Order: sequence, then C-alpha cells, then structure tokens
Amino acid sequence: MSVSKKIVLLGHFGVGKSSLLRRFVENNFSDNYVVTIGVHIMKKEVTINSDKVTLIIWDVEGTDDFTKYRPSYLMGASSFIYVFDASRAVTYGDLKYNLSHLKDKYPQVPVHIIGNKVDLVDKDEIMAALKAQDVQHSYLSSAKTGENVEQLFNDVAAQLLENA
Amino acid sequence: MLDNLRQDFFNKTTQLLIVNRGLNVVDSDQNLFSISKNSDITEFHPFFYSLMNVFEETKKEHTFFCVQVEVLGKLYFLDIKTILRDDDTLVVILNDLTDHYKTVHQIKQVRNESIIGFNITQELNQELEIQRSFKNKFLANVSHEIRTPLNSIVGFLSVLENTDITREQLDILNIVKDSSKNLVTILDDLMDISKIEAGKLEIKKRRFDFKEFIEVLGKTYQLRADEKRLSFEFEMGSKIPRFLVGDHLRINQILVNLLENALKYTHQGNIKFCVKTDSQNARRIPVTFEVTDTGIGIPKEKIDSIFDSFTQLEKRGLFGGSGLGLSIVKQLTHLLESDLEVSSVEGKGSTFSFTVYMGVSHNQKREKKEKTKKTKNKKATGKKPRILLGEDVEVNQLLMLRLFVDHGAYSIDIAKDGERVLEFLDRNTYDLVILDLTMPIMDGLDTAVQIRSHSNSKISKLPIIALTARTAQEEQDAAKEAGMNAYLTKPIDAELLFETIERLLTRYKRKSKEVLSLEGEEE
Repeated sequence: MSVSKKIVLLGHFGVGKSSLLRRFVENNFSDNYVVTIGVHIMKKEVTINSDKVTLIIWDVEGTDDFTKYRPSYLMGASSFIYVFDASRAVTYGDLKYNLSHLKDKYPQVPVHIIGNKVDLVDKDEIMAALKAQDVQHSYLSSAKTGENVEQLFNDVAAQLLENA
Repeated sequence: MLDNLRQDFFNKTTQLLIVNRGLNVVDSDQNLFSISKNSDITEFHPFFYSLMNVFEETKKEHTFFCVQVEVLGKLYFLDIKTILRDDDTLVVILNDLTDHYKTVHQIKQVRNESIIGFNITQELNQELEIQRSFKNKFLANVSHEIRTPLNSIVGFLSVLENTDITREQLDILNIVKDSSKNLVTILDDLMDISKIEAGKLEIKKRRFDFKEFIEVLGKTYQLRADEKRLSFEFEMGSKIPRFLVGDHLRINQILVNLLENALKYTHQGNIKFCVKTDSQNARRIPVTFEVTDTGIGIPKEKIDSIFDSFTQLEKRGLFGGSGLGLSIVKQLTHLLESDLEVSSVEGKGSTFSFTVYMGVSHNQKREKKEKTKKTKNKKATGKKPRILLGEDVEVNQLLMLRLFVDHGAYSIDIAKDGERVLEFLDRNTYDLVILDLTMPIMDGLDTAVQIRSHSNSKISKLPIIALTARTAQEEQDAAKEAGMNAYLTKPIDAELLFETIERLLTRYKRKSKEVLSLEGEEE
C-alpha cells in the first residue's frame, strides 16, 4: 500500500520548523536563521512495517497567532506538527490558545506538539513548564543534533497509516 | 500594440495549465516552466499533491499565496490560483511574484531577527533576575542562620571579658572576639553587596557632627597603626565645617574599609588619612577623603579587577579576607554619586581617594544643646526603667539577662513568645519592649502591631526595639510599618543596645503622649 499525506508544520517564527524539515528530508542543518515566507514544501517517502507513505510536508511561515494562518495552507492536512522553541518561553506561552483554535477549526486533524532546540535547555524545566499549562507534548527534539527528529516523523507516518 | 505589450510583460510572469483529476497535465502554455502534457504534475513539484484536495472541495476557486518552488536550482515565489471547471478539470494559474516576495523576505528577515533577539534578551534578563533573587534570599537565610549562634558567641565573650580571668585567658578571648567581629563584618559585607546589586541600599542623608566623626576615626586608626609600629598622619582641612549633611554610616563604611586595607597591607612606613575641602561658603561642598599607604601596592594589570564583586574571593593571596571590601567601597562611592580613584605602585604603596558632595548644616550649634539636655535627663533619672524582652531562644534569653545584669541600669523581664509579651504588658508596667522578630505562636511584627493597637495608651505608646538576626531591608521596612522604633541586628552589640534603649527612653519621656516613629524617620 502506498499513500501520500499532507503534514503541516506550524508554530511561531524562528522555532526551527524549516530546520526540522531539512534534517528529516536532507539530513543536514545550518545555524543560520533564514526566514520562511509563504510556504515551502518537501516530500519524503517513509516505510512503516513494509507499508509506504509519502509525506508531503508543508513548512508554513511562522506566526504567533494561529488564527492568521491562511486556510488554503491548512486545507487537506492529515496531521499538524506544532513546533515551539524550548529555549524561548514566548513560543510556548500561548500553546493552549493556539491548540484550542486548531481543535475548533480542524477537529479531525491530530496535532503533535514538539519542543525543538532542546539541546539549549534543561529538559526538566521545559517539561515542568508544559505540565503547568496542562499540555502533553509528543517529543522534545533538536534539529541541530538530530535528536528525536526521525522518530517524530516516523510516529506521525505510522499514525497516518493507522488512520488511512 | 496592447497584445504585444501583454505578450512582453504578462506572459513572462504567468503560466496556465489544465490538470485532470488524476493530476495529469492536460495542457500547459509553458510560459514559465516546461511541464509536459500528460505528465504527472506532482513530479514537477510536491505542491501539486494538494490539487487532490482542491478537487474534493466544494469551493471552486482557491488561491495559494507565496508558494516556494525550486526549479533547476532557481527559487521562485508563486501565487497559485486554481479554478474547478465543469468538465472536472482544474485551471491552474501560476503567477511569478519572485521579485516582490524577495523584498518581503528581506523585511521579514530583519524584523524576525530583531524580535527573536529581543525575546532572548528578555528571557536572559528574567533568568538573571531569578538567579539574583535566589542569591539574595540564600544570602539572607545563611546570614540569619550564622548570626543566631554568633550572637551568643559574641555576647557571652563580652560577658566573659568582665569576669575574673587571667591575662593569658584575656589574650585568647581577644583573639576569639576579633575573629567573631571579622565574621560579622564578612556577613555584613555579603548582605551589603547583595543589597547594592538588588538596588535596595538607600543613601540616608542626615545632619551629623562630621568633625567629631572624622576625629574619632583618625584616633582609632592612630592607635591601630601604633600597635603595628606604623607612623600615622591625620590631616583635616581647616575649612571643614563641624556639622554636615550626608550618609555618615556609608562614608564610615568606605573609610573603615580603606583604612583597614591600608593597615593590612602596610608592613612598614606610614599611613596618611586626609580629609579636606576647597570651598566653605556654599550649601553643598565637595569633601575629599584620601587614604595613602606605603604598603605592598597593586600590580598595574590588577588595578581594574580589584573592585570586582565576589571575584576577589579567588585572589586571597593578594587581598586576604573575604575580598568584598573594595567592591563594596567602589559601589558605595557610586551610590554617593562619587567615584573611587586609585593610584598604586607595586612594592611602594597606594592612594585611594574619593570626593563626596555634602550639605552644610545652617545651624552649627544645635547638636551641642541636645547633648547637654540628654545628659541632664540621664542624671535626673533615679528609678531603674523596666524592660520587657520577647525572645524564644533560651541561650539568647540567658545572654540578654547577663548583659542587663552586668549593665545594671535596667531591670528586665523575659517572655518567650508574642502572646506572653502581651500578657506581661497587661499585668505589669514597662518602659520599653524589645522583640525578637522570629518567635513561635506570635512573631515580633504581629506583637508590635498588637501593642500599637492596644486600648491602653500607656502600652500602645511604649517604645519598641526589634532585635533580630534578619538584616534584609524588607524586614526593616516591615518593622517600621509595624510601629517599631528601632531595629538592631544580632550579634548583639551591647553598647549599641544600651545606647538605643537610653535614647528611646529619653525620647519617650519627652514625647510621652505621642507614638514614637522608627529611628531615622525623623532625621
């Protein structure tokens, strides 16, 4: 079985969405921050237990207010990956608000919450901050070191196949 | 003509395609990109997978703004419009807006970098503030914990000093006393550094007998220098007025630190302490303080770093002690709107100097009158004033009892918590109350509030002294707010304690019908 699924990377600007995508698809990383405007799309085929899924990953321009996302970017998404920067509290201070908007507008689309740049912080502090917000994160990752990047996308792919 | 222009300008930026439900290209005008007929459009770019969703939507037209498409190594920014036709094919219009979006990109790059930089700085500042607050709290707690046992050590040493001991025992006792005093100084220095860094150390200006203050300091260090067989020169300019307005506690702290350093690092030769001013007939005059020694001096490359807070701790070999002294001096001179200047030659000696602007008191005689009055009051007093102490720690109770017995001018009762203090006050008549701030059942602050709101005005107007191991400014402010008149810290300085009691009792008698305000407020 081979299917293609659209995944959208969401989050504030500068949280490392493009870096996560580049690490996953091309296995490289750059420390230089280059702003993404509009949308940048990449694809990668993933095999889970001999089933293949082509992930079409939309790396959408970052914003702190998810209500401002263009509906055309999110249309047809099978999964959202909400990325925040674990080293900047401002990027996860409004998780609840943004999650509630996604749940309201796209109730059928699962959301995976990823704390990126975990190489820069104390993981316990981040987990405590998320717990305080009553938010369950999926992974703490680092596009720089590659920590949990492959696992994250594989998990998303496995879930998509399960729901296909 | 227009058709030609359209051909020149629009055709170069727009491409039209027709795509079927299988996502195969039915037709393409090839204006921008070469996309073959019948080819799978998703092979050209993964964006076109989204056309599957477009076919499923009820809305017939969709626009995807600013889609990044890389073709043959070149990055394009396209607005892509789709229109679902009745024949179940899609018209796809690619509009190349690369130049426009590149400008937008540059603007957003600068904006986002600036916002991220601001966020990071803001979070770092918050983190620093948390660390600073933790450090200050930690220092305050450590200081309190050390001061409590130190109180009984210093106190009982004073008691022991007045007993029948041998010369040899007295020498040993003096060594222990000096070490304890050093420990108190280090604690005070740590708290001061912490207060200065937290911006909580305030300069309190008041009128004081400047000449007497400097003369006492000069005489003290004359004796200290004599003990070390050093020559000591003391010079006070003739233009210095007797009464000046300034923060004499902080000026004293700076001078003591500088003079102590001079003594510590001078092994032969002399120390010179000089205070002078160039002006006389002004409301504010610049007073210059200078301490010169012929000590070990400071290497040129280390002059800048000797004032660093805490880093001195690593350089014991050079400066000894806690190494906080000069850091405090530097910061205190800044608080006094001055700057500490240092000139030094390694092996030959150093000169530290600073100039503080001080107010000239218009009345140069008032203080003398008050002194005379105070002495008279003291002489007129015949009956022993009765003091009530609220203190829960047994060893401190014992120490205070001993200090009062040795002093002999007052009688003392001791209550072990705030509730008992109030009971004692209802049963007996007292002239003054001393309260430890940390007591079980009812602490010193609550007790003071209860006393101040007592229905019996003879109780509610009693002078109250806070006696505590807590040194933070917040605690002092809280004591003031609770209506306490003086704030003394442990270890108990017996001399200061009895001076304060005497002063408050004198004021209490004078203003027996008013509630006293916390010392310093009136100044």
